[in-house]
Amino acid sequence: MSSSSGYAVEAVDVKKTYGGVSALKGVDIRIPQGSIYGLIGPNGAGKSTLFDILCGITKPTSGTVNVMGMDVAALPAYEVARRGVGRTFQRTAIFGHSTVYENLLYASYGRMRHSAVHRLLRLPVWREDMNTFADKARDVLAVCGLTELRDQLASALAYGIQRRLAVAIMLMNDPKIIFLDEPVAGMNEVETADFIQLLRAISGRRTIVIVEHDMAAIGALCDEVMVMVDGRQLVTDAPERALKHPDVVAAYLGASDDELV
Amino acid sequence: MTESSIALKAQGSRGVVPWKQVLLLGSVVALVLGIGLGADSPFLLSLAGYTCGFALFAVSVNVMLGGIGEVPLGHCMFFGIGAYAPAIAMNHLGLPYEAGILLGMGFSAVLAVLIGWLTLKLTGAYFSIVSWGLSGVAMVTALNLEITGGPLGLFGFTRLAIGPFDLSDPRTYFFATAAILLLVLIVLANVRSSRFGNALESIRQGRHLAQSLGINVFRERLKALVFSAPIAALAGALCIPYTQIVTPEVMSVLRTVDALLAVLIGGTGLLFGPVIGAVIFTILPQFLQFDPNVKVLVFSLIIIFIMVVAPGGLHQLFKLIERRLEKRSEGRA
Ligand SMILES: Nc1ncnc2c1ncn2[C@@H]1O[C@H](COP(=O)(O)OP(=O)(O)OP(=O)(O)O)[C@@H](O)[C@H]1O
Ligand SMILES: [Mg+2]
Repeated sequence: MSSSSGYAVEAVDVKKTYGGVSALKGVDIRIPQGSIYGLIGPNGAGKSTLFDILCGITKPTSGTVNVMGMDVAALPAYEVARRGVGRTFQRTAIFGHSTVYENLLYASYGRMRHSAVHRLLRLPVWREDMNTFADKARDVLAVCGLTELRDQLASALAYGIQRRLAVAIMLMNDPKIIFLDEPVAGMNEVETADFIQLLRAISGRRTIVIVEHDMAAIGALCDEVMVMVDGRQLVTDAPERALKHPDVVAAYLGASDDELV
Repeated sequence: MTESSIALKAQGSRGVVPWKQVLLLGSVVALVLGIGLGADSPFLLSLAGYTCGFALFAVSVNVMLGGIGEVPLGHCMFFGIGAYAPAIAMNHLGLPYEAGILLGMGFSAVLAVLIGWLTLKLTGAYFSIVSWGLSGVAMVTALNLEITGGPLGLFGFTRLAIGPFDLSDPRTYFFATAAILLLVLIVLANVRSSRFGNALESIRQGRHLAQSLGINVFRERLKALVFSAPIAALAGALCIPYTQIVTPEVMSVLRTVDALLAVLIGGTGLLFGPVIGAVIFTILPQFLQFDPNVKVLVFSLIIIFIMVVAPGGLHQLFKLIERRLEKRSEGRA
């Protein structure tokens, strides 16, 4: 299913306009399989828009988008998700009215096979589903450090923990590629360090794509970064080099002073 | 605790009898038997039967409201179809009541697919308004067709019976509707804790997240409507033995509003919420001899009161009491 080219993501000349606003003005992006790839740039650069397009949530105005061998522009978002593309959202998305464990239960929808009739009659299909789920949930809870918090209401968790839960939710479907939109934003130093460790632990052979303003986190995690400004890519390089690139420094200084610390 | 967590716990202790559920079921059955055998007044018994029918409609409305978070103003259309189908079947087609019930349920399911296909891409107020409009069309249709008896409606039914159970006997009527209501609730409890129920709950809480987890949001919402419509139709059919007549009024949006109020009083989160609400909603006015306008006023006030003390509906109060009792028994142990 994955492309033979060795790239998990290959997008060419992607454009997106909203009414008169052009959010993406022709972006090319190639993300090697199994790498941790960063996407940085000042506010409004089009990072989230590009994420939405790569996940099939938003359709590009023009351009081709290939993710894990899929033409995601031609597939509904839920289908892209089913085929192994996971993402977290910029504003933490969890099921707040439910417990941590129930969050994982909802997330395992794609792995389950039983119907309401199987459930009603307690048929083996349902039992198998629930056993598989329990095993998977145990692993995911352990990896994400949520085992103790299993029965807590999700909305009552601390912010940093909610972000871990968002990752746990995503992991229930064993995605082959994951997109994280500003995962450590709003976290304190300890939470950020923990989170980076979590991402390292789950990376394995997965491809991970991260949008992040925290340059320390980007430097610590990423093999390669793409800097975007105003709907275009500016520089693509290893993080140390990309961040020192004169164009990048200029772009950040031009955009705002507080972002590149 | 939500239904799914009950299921998870029940599953965790496999082989052990789920005492809590058995106890609940036992007390409900005892309550039904108590009312059915204890009450002597035919009026009270048929009112109780009608209450079960109305509760069934409230349950159906709550599949939409509590299930996917939409306000299905037009749901009265399915209720009306459910009432008209057996009436037409008996008076025009020479079919028995039961066959009419099944026809109505089937027809409403098919119609739900069509209507859902057209309206469920909409959400919130847009969905509610379009759904309301469609029910208005249905009411006008019923007013003008010959087969529905026009404004006079249909009446003078031959035999209102389900199998050997003659629903013109108030006691039988009550037992039959109570049994059906209970059966539907048991099915619903299982649906809610199944993969489908989980999908609905996740969609209600966050459609974008649900979508990014591989859930076909539109399809699951459509399934919810198609699942709830025949329940509404069944409710409509079960109210006939009480009303003895089916007029275009059955399609009135006020009926949906009544059910919505009942659901809000009882609480959207719990399986039993709509039933509790429906009981309060139909029994109370009978004793207090309300004028319909006063009724609306009183219930609006009740709802405001409940929203203030127990935003999740009355069942939240029950839960609170339950938790208190659990704590007390833990303290003793
Ligand atoms: N749904 C939309 N409708 C109209 N304009 C939009 C929409 N989504 C994004 N935009 C515009 O597209 C541009 C890029 O937005 P985007 O959210 O992708 O930026 P970003 O790089 O993620 O910024 P941030 O760092 O603030 O998250 C912005 O100018 C934004 O106003
Ligand atoms: Mg963004």
